[in-house]
Amino acid sequence: MSSALQPSAPSAQSWARRWRQRLWRIAPADRGPVVLRHRRIYILPTRRGLALLATLATMLLTSMNYALSLGYALTFLVAGLVASALLQTFRNLAGIAASPVAAGEAFAGGEVTFTLSLANAGAARRGIVVMPGSGRSVTVDLPAGATRQVQVTIIAARRGRVALGRVTLSTDFPLGLWRGWAYVHFPLAGIAYPTPEAPPPQLPVGLDGFDVRRSARVADAELAGLRDYHPGDPLNRIAWKAVARGAGWYTKQFEGTGGSGTLELHWAELPPTLDTEARLSRLSAWILTSEREARAFSLALPGTNLPVGSGTGHRRAALTALALFPAERAP
Amino acid sequence: MIFARAPATPLSRSQLAWLAALVVLTQLPLWLQLPPWIAVTGSGLVVARLLLPADRLPPAHLRRWLLPVLALAVAIGIRSSFGYFLARDPCVAFLYALVGIKFLEATSPRDGGLLVCLSLFLALTQFFYGQTIAAAALTFPAVLVLGGALAALRDTPSGTSDWKAPLAATARMLVEGIPLAALLFILFPRLAGPLWGTPTDAGARSGLSDRMAPGTISELSLSDSVAFRVDFIGPPPPPAQRYWRGPVLSRFDGLEWSARPQPRIGVFAPRRGRAIEYTVTLEPHNRLWLFALEHPASLPRPAVDEILLSAAPARPLAVLTYDEQLLAAGPVTQTLRYTQRSTLGDRFAAAGEEERADNLQLPRNNPRTLAFARDLRSRVASDRAFIAELLAWFHDEAFVYTLAPPPLEGDTVDAFLFDTRRGFCEHYASAFVVMLRAAGIPARVVTGYQGGEINPNGDYMIVRNSDAHAWSEALFDGTWLRFDPTAAVAPSRIERGLGAALPLGEPVPYLARLDMTWLKNLRLHWDAVNYQWQRGIVGFNIERQRDLWRDLGLEGVRGWLIVALAAGVLTVWGAAFLWFGHWLVHRRDPVVAIWARLCRRLARAGLPRRSDEGPLAYAQRAATRWPQWKEPLRKIGETYAMLRYGPIAGTRGELISALRASVASLPEVRTLRGLV
Repeated sequence: MSSALQPSAPSAQSWARRWRQRLWRIAPADRGPVVLRHRRIYILPTRRGLALLATLATMLLTSMNYALSLGYALTFLVAGLVASALLQTFRNLAGIAASPVAAGEAFAGGEVTFTLSLANAGAARRGIVVMPGSGRSVTVDLPAGATRQVQVTIIAARRGRVALGRVTLSTDFPLGLWRGWAYVHFPLAGIAYPTPEAPPPQLPVGLDGFDVRRSARVADAELAGLRDYHPGDPLNRIAWKAVARGAGWYTKQFEGTGGSGTLELHWAELPPTLDTEARLSRLSAWILTSEREARAFSLALPGTNLPVGSGTGHRRAALTALALFPAERAP
Repeated sequence: MIFARAPATPLSRSQLAWLAALVVLTQLPLWLQLPPWIAVTGSGLVVARLLLPADRLPPAHLRRWLLPVLALAVAIGIRSSFGYFLARDPCVAFLYALVGIKFLEATSPRDGGLLVCLSLFLALTQFFYGQTIAAAALTFPAVLVLGGALAALRDTPSGTSDWKAPLAATARMLVEGIPLAALLFILFPRLAGPLWGTPTDAGARSGLSDRMAPGTISELSLSDSVAFRVDFIGPPPPPAQRYWRGPVLSRFDGLEWSARPQPRIGVFAPRRGRAIEYTVTLEPHNRLWLFALEHPASLPRPAVDEILLSAAPARPLAVLTYDEQLLAAGPVTQTLRYTQRSTLGDRFAAAGEEERADNLQLPRNNPRTLAFARDLRSRVASDRAFIAELLAWFHDEAFVYTLAPPPLEGDTVDAFLFDTRRGFCEHYASAFVVMLRAAGIPARVVTGYQGGEINPNGDYMIVRNSDAHAWSEALFDGTWLRFDPTAAVAPSRIERGLGAALPLGEPVPYLARLDMTWLKNLRLHWDAVNYQWQRGIVGFNIERQRDLWRDLGLEGVRGWLIVALAAGVLTVWGAAFLWFGHWLVHRRDPVVAIWARLCRRLARAGLPRRSDEGPLAYAQRAATRWPQWKEPLRKIGETYAMLRYGPIAGTRGELISALRASVASLPEVRTLRGLV
């Protein structure tokens, strides 16, 4: 590559940014398999390593003061061991090829699972700790020439995309005196769907203003029982008799409605009392219920329309649409 | 968190076992050096913890108090046992016990790490008491177990209880680390003296002292330990002339002889006689004296093993006093090698007239001796005749030369000369000098070593503490003359050594005896090994380091250059081993080699692999570039990916030969380049 092709004298800022990226891998700029080499690997003593080094320093001073030749010999022998452990720690990490494999899905509040692949072209590695930016770390051993898939989980705080973030691969093998680590930052992101409303609200089946075409069929349906009233339940499903008796507010539940009917889930027709997140939660719950009952559904959101469909792909598309629905602007 | 913390899980049984092994291995060499109650307590606590079942440990709040309370109790015990605390030996004893206490209360890997550090330091302390080959050999297993313990502490508690693998891994790391350790040992600058004050109790004082009472030297004569070794340039002197001059004692208080506190500096008197040159390797004895054959003709200088390199005159190691002792500036705390010249003889010119008065002082006790001497002197014509009479008297009377004389009380010289008549060299020398002084002849006691044994394995002389001897000097007409009354009693002591002179049945150190030749031979071989060990390893001090640097052409090199050299050594060492490890791994993997060759080939043909490109993508790109070779290129990519990353379909060997065949079917680089 000729120098003419390179950007002209980079500003100090971009120079600093490049170095920050190189040192800390802040941006998700790693593509494909990343082979850990000396440019990426950091090594520092652990606390135990520091304590041992301090002991060796004291031993050296003692040997000097008392002119103990064998004291020097012992000190340097153990120093050689410590130095060799440094090399071993480096070797344990160097040459591992990390690549992104898959990002999982979850409902907000749950754990999103990410899969990374660690390929080991060299000798056996032991105790490689894979630690995402947040969440639990996983420790793997890599036999010689083996490739292992590692799954790390991140708790999704809210709906939307969940980035894996910067992953730290570290090890303190073999003696726990040195910790070597390297950062890899893949642009890998999972998704967190809106938390479904619990308990699941009744499906919007055959309701006035919801699905007039099937209201007759609903009337045929058998009354299965009553459940507690939730704000927003259709008026014609409220057990008015019970209310009149003063027994409290209940909503009628019907059975035998499942199976064949098609649902139309409309953002606009949800009760206006609900805010954006509550609407998304309800839609999320409805999508789950309709999938459980094997019913096709369509979804209409402001700006997004999914035609009638069913199956895992359709459900995932619908939930993704909910997950990525723009958040309500703060007033 | 820059420096990683140790995990906070409880110690597992196998971790505990590793730590116990480490602690006991480091305590073991100290068992004989410490008061028995410390040795038993320190190691007993370890055994106690091992016997306790894991679920029956004392509760946490009790354990928190256990360490300080036990440590305080032990400290008080040590204080009352030694009589002082802030010195080396009590501190070693305390550390020894502390390791045991810490083991008793250790619960977490963090405690384990601390225990490893304490044990490591404890392993060093054994060298205070001796730097023998055995001590060094005992350290190796301790270092191996140290590696094993660290590996066990790093492991998860549920880790395997296999004990061979960590030892083997540590051994491999040691093999890797030993070159570095050896270089550091050679290059690390040694100090000429201690860093903080003189270690007052550094090493037990052995050998001669500046005091002599009946029993002092006979006690020393029971020891087989080596005082010094000598390499002669030319033939060694005959046994009767092997008088190694040491402390000169001219003060007598009636019971004990002692040296003058502040000796004056002397000058070399002109000498006649055979000059002899030799190199002495003196074991540290924590005193000032350097020993030389009577009489020294030069000041001792640092030994240079390669004589041709001794260009610059080295500073002398000691001064000569007026009574011909060689005194170093400070106690000899490390093995010292010096070259020395002597003129063999039994007389030397006195420094001045004031020595007369100094060497006539005599306390009033021992009346029978004084009367006997004065009476004898009045009956002979001259001082010389008087001495001849005295020596004849020692020879004719029923004096017995023995290592086990009966104890003497009161006027000890009287009791020895006229009652017991059984004594060792110090009795004879002392009584002889007292009688000379009583007769008005200035005289003094000289102590040192007499004799020495040539070791045929290595051709050097060993002088042991069992060769310790005391003789006398008398001043005649401005000349000091040596007289050895022991020779009058037991002439074979001087000619053939202690074993020949003592009666049968005496407890002679067995190396001083004349029989038991095969055992003695074995011991002499062992001493030859030990001598090399002492010279090469233990005696590797500032002088020898300078010699070595001089040999390496580093003379006059500044300190920072040495540091830079050490840093360079470290870097080269690390790079060499990393490369070696890389090579070890990749040399055996033909797949990687084939792929790397292919990549180089395609790069030369104008299509280098991008660093982020996997095998499949690269093969694909190459196939688009050279569509004629699409099929083999695709196959190469797939086979390689399968071999490296995939689940392998079929056997590995078949896949490798398939990969080879596909690569072989590609045309030459030139052809490829032309095809673009």
